[in-house]
Amino acid sequence: MSRQKKYGIRPCTWVYLFLMFFSFVTFLIGQAGLSGLEVALAVLFLAMIKGQLVGHYFMGLGSVRGIWHWPVFIWLFIPGILIGTAFYLSYSTG
Amino acid sequence: MTAAVAVAEKQNRYPPGDLVIWIFILAELLVFAAFFSAYAFTRMNNVELFNEFQQNLDRQAALINTFALITSSYFVVRAVSAIREGNSQHCVRWLLAALVMGVVFLLVKGGEYSHHFGEGINLSTNTFYMFYISLTFFHFMHVIMGMVILAAVAVKAQKGGYSAEEHTGVETGASYWHMVDLLWLILFPLVYVMR
Repeated sequence: MSRQKKYGIRPCTWVYLFLMFFSFVTFLIGQAGLSGLEVALAVLFLAMIKGQLVGHYFMGLGSVRGIWHWPVFIWLFIPGILIGTAFYLSYSTG
Repeated sequence: MTAAVAVAEKQNRYPPGDLVIWIFILAELLVFAAFFSAYAFTRMNNVELFNEFQQNLDRQAALINTFALITSSYFVVRAVSAIREGNSQHCVRWLLAALVMGVVFLLVKGGEYSHHFGEGINLSTNTFYMFYISLTFFHFMHVIMGMVILAAVAVKAQKGGYSAEEHTGVETGASYWHMVDLLWLILFPLVYVMR
């Protein structure tokens, strides 16, 4: 598959629809008042997946080789771990 | 090495747009990462307070804003694609559509602020609102900054300032705007949903 096709408009359109759908799912989770460590971590994980898709397809980092392929992934990973840890501790100590 | 191969090699090694904007983006992302982590660790010691006041936020407004920013980001992808094909007019139209979505975000968020401030809520009301207002307002300012950049790019594109061969400015503005979207994709679940 050529780079043009792999990172062109069509995959970006699918990513757009994915982002919209799972943002709505996140909203529904909030509206339903769902809580708990598993729910919080699932919502966080979903947000990280969405962020990675924005970096990979919209920002165009998916087609970049080397160190510049990773900044969004690393950025999502570090606060993701910290936020996840904070929520884990709030449940385990609460 | 031919010029085409050299250009392709450069595209493979560096992200789209001016490298300086990426240094700026990384700095911004780090600041927000510290903010997000501070919110989560402060919440750890104030779980009941955060859960109680999170319920007062307008989640539907936040969803509309999420849709607005994601759609706007997609429109910017289309603008970049158009200019890569040398179509300045389409590029301008997509950028204007993205700007309209930015205006929607500002209006909805402004309405939220107006509601909260009308109730006498401010930074010193409690720890939750301190984080909510400062985090979202910091992001709000980035949306305005992104819109100024997109508007400047649109004006230059309208004047024929970009082409299929040279469109670094469009990619630079697009990268900044996608960062604004990326930040909101974490901010929305963290502040409005996770409990």
